[in-house]
Formats: sequence, structure tokens, C-alpha cells
Amino acid sequence: MAKEVSNLEQFKDGVLGNNPVLVQLLGMCPTLAVTNSLENALVMGMAATFVVVMSNLITSTLRNLIKPHVRILIFTLTIATFVTIADLTLKAYIFEVSKKLGAFVPLIIVNCMIICRAEVVAIKKGVAKSLADAFGIGIGFTLALSILGVVREILGSGTLMNRQVLPDAFLDGHTWVIMVLPPGAFLTLGVVVGVVNHVRARGAKGGAA
Amino acid sequence: MSIGVLVGIFLSVALVNNLVLAGFLGICPFLGVSRKVDMAFGMGCAVTFVITISGVVTWLIVHAILTPIGNAIGNPGALYFLKYVAFIMVIASMVQLVEMYLKKFFPPLYTAFGVFLPLITTNCAILGACLYIDMKPETQNLLNAAVYAFGGGLGFMLAITIMAGIREHVRFSDVPKCLQGAGITLLVAGILALAFTGFTGIGK
Repeated sequence: MAKEVSNLEQFKDGVLGNNPVLVQLLGMCPTLAVTNSLENALVMGMAATFVVVMSNLITSTLRNLIKPHVRILIFTLTIATFVTIADLTLKAYIFEVSKKLGAFVPLIIVNCMIICRAEVVAIKKGVAKSLADAFGIGIGFTLALSILGVVREILGSGTLMNRQVLPDAFLDGHTWVIMVLPPGAFLTLGVVVGVVNHVRARGAKGGAA
Repeated sequence: MSIGVLVGIFLSVALVNNLVLAGFLGICPFLGVSRKVDMAFGMGCAVTFVITISGVVTWLIVHAILTPIGNAIGNPGALYFLKYVAFIMVIASMVQLVEMYLKKFFPPLYTAFGVFLPLITTNCAILGACLYIDMKPETQNLLNAAVYAFGGGLGFMLAITIMAGIREHVRFSDVPKCLQGAGITLLVAGILALAFTGFTGIGK
């Protein structure tokens, strides 16, 4: 029973306490590049979740066979295989979104968040714990991407999931185009990280008092 | 093949579509190794070096191995599903090779690069540049691909060195507590990216 709780805690830690993007600042490239709309952010989050879950599953199952000095190579090849599967699947079923994501689907291979989970958790812990961790990290990643996607899509295009949400007066030439361009990504993530730090600092102070 | 096309490709990838500030590649080292100018410059040099070699070698893999074998089977794209695995293998082994070569023949350079060399394997600017070379119609010959890769590396070096220069000054300014560290760095990167959008319209 105790083990089940710790799995749950491992899961929660990935989503909130140690959110890969907002707290650990890992996997920044897709975070910044594909969050110009919520749709892209969700698809990217799901693809990365699939890869991290499968890579943790394989690495954790084989953890007693992998020799320490070739482990990084094994991680990378495992991840590359599942990224190829994810890429071909996206191309087959949602071609439009896959075209928008472009090179960033194959770039999941070098997403440091995934290799970090293999190195920190999967190679040491059992399959159940590794899976819980992978789901937590994957969902935490998707959550962070969605926050950025929502902010940037609403301010930049006045829409959400391609549906108009802001009044016409705003859309009539007053959208903040900068939010869907590269600078908007950096600025939004900077502000969101600031807010998260602020909330965490307050939480820590409140807990102590 | 005119020299103008090459200059166009070079300017486009180094400034207009800068891999870091417009393409969001290599953000991790861009944020992580940009505390001091000399470190940033070293990282930039190492990346330029590896990116140029990997760009050329991955081009050769696609055009001299995967496509001919595919042609022999009767379908040029038959082996393209191997691309990603092949690319990452090439980059990892190139980094290893460059490391051994430098250690043997240029020890001072090796010590200067230090821990950056192995780190470059997971730098997405490298894999990204190789993937873009593979995707773009204008980099389908070897010389263009080499120029693209080299320009991408120099663009990375430019961006990370400017960033380090700014951050050395930010250290002395009074930043709100919650924005210290990553927050202010991202905001500075945003303003830098805004400046780089000013290059839009040069070349293509």
C-alpha cells in the first residue's frame, strides 16, 4: 500500500512540484516553438508524453542489462525509435498539425527532459514507479505548454482552439501579432516563470509561518 | 551555382532565421551557458565546429547511402524512416570523434572547450540544422548544405555571445525577486529576439 502512495506522489511531483518546464527549465525548445496555438501545444504535449512513457518503460524493463558506459547511447536510440513512431503516426492521422510542428517532432529526440527521466528514474527504479514518473512528467509538460498556448493564442490571434473568443473590436487590426512571433514566446515564458516563482515563494513563506 | 545564392543562404540562416532567436533551437545552452562572455564564445565555437561537420555528414548519409539503397530497391524513400536514428548516431559519434581528435592534436583547444564538447550531443541546434538541411529545397546540394550549417553555427555563436554580454550587465541591476535567474533571462531573450526580427526582409 505504501508503494502505491509513493507512485502517486512521484506522479504529482512531475506535474506540479517539479514541473519539467516551469521549475526545472528542461525541454525549452518545443515549449517556445510550438506554443503559438493551443492545438499545437496539446499535440506536442501528447507526442512527448508518449515518447517519455515508452522510453521509461523500455529503459526500466532493461535496466539490469544496460551497461553503464553505453547507457546514454541506448537511451538516445530508444527515444529516437519512439519519436520515429510518433512522427509517422502524426503524419498519417493529423497531417495539418504535423506540418505546423515541422522539425519539432523529430527534435523530441534531443529533448533533455526525456533523457533526464531515463537517467534519473528509469535506470534505477522499477517499472511501476518509472511509468508513474513518466506520466507525471508528460502531463506536467503538456500542462505548461497549454498555459503558454492559451495565453499566446488568445492575445496573438484572438482565438482559442481556432474559435474566436475576443470581441471583433480587438480583432480589427489590434491583435498583438508579436505574441505569435518568436519574441512573444520568450516574453510569455519569462512572465509565467516569474509568476510561478512568486507563487512558490509565497507558498513556502506561508508554510513556514 | 552563383555566389549570390550562397551569400543569401548564409545571411538567411545566420541573421534572419537565426537558429536560436527565430527558430528556437539550442535554447538550453543559450540559457545555461550564457553567464560569461568567454564561456559563451567557447560554446559557440564548439557548436559551429560540430554543426558544420554533422551537416555535411548527414547530407552524405541521406544522399549517398539511404537514397541510393532505396533506389536499388525501387523506392527512393524506402529507408527514410531510418533518418532520425541515423542522424542522432552521426551527431553523437561526430562529437566523440571531434573530442578525441582535439585531445590528441590540439590539447589547448580541448581544455578550452572542456565540458561543452560532450554536452553538444543534446544541443538541438545541431540536429535541428541537419533536419532543416534535409527538408529545405535550396540545400539539396553539398556546398549549399555546408554553407547553411556553417552559417547556422555562426548565428548561434552570435546570439549566445550577445546574450552573455547583456547578462554580465544584468547581474548588477536590481531585478524583482521572482524574476531573478530564468525569468529575467527569458525576458532579455525576448527583447533580443525582437531586435532580430528587424532583419526580416534581408535575403529571403
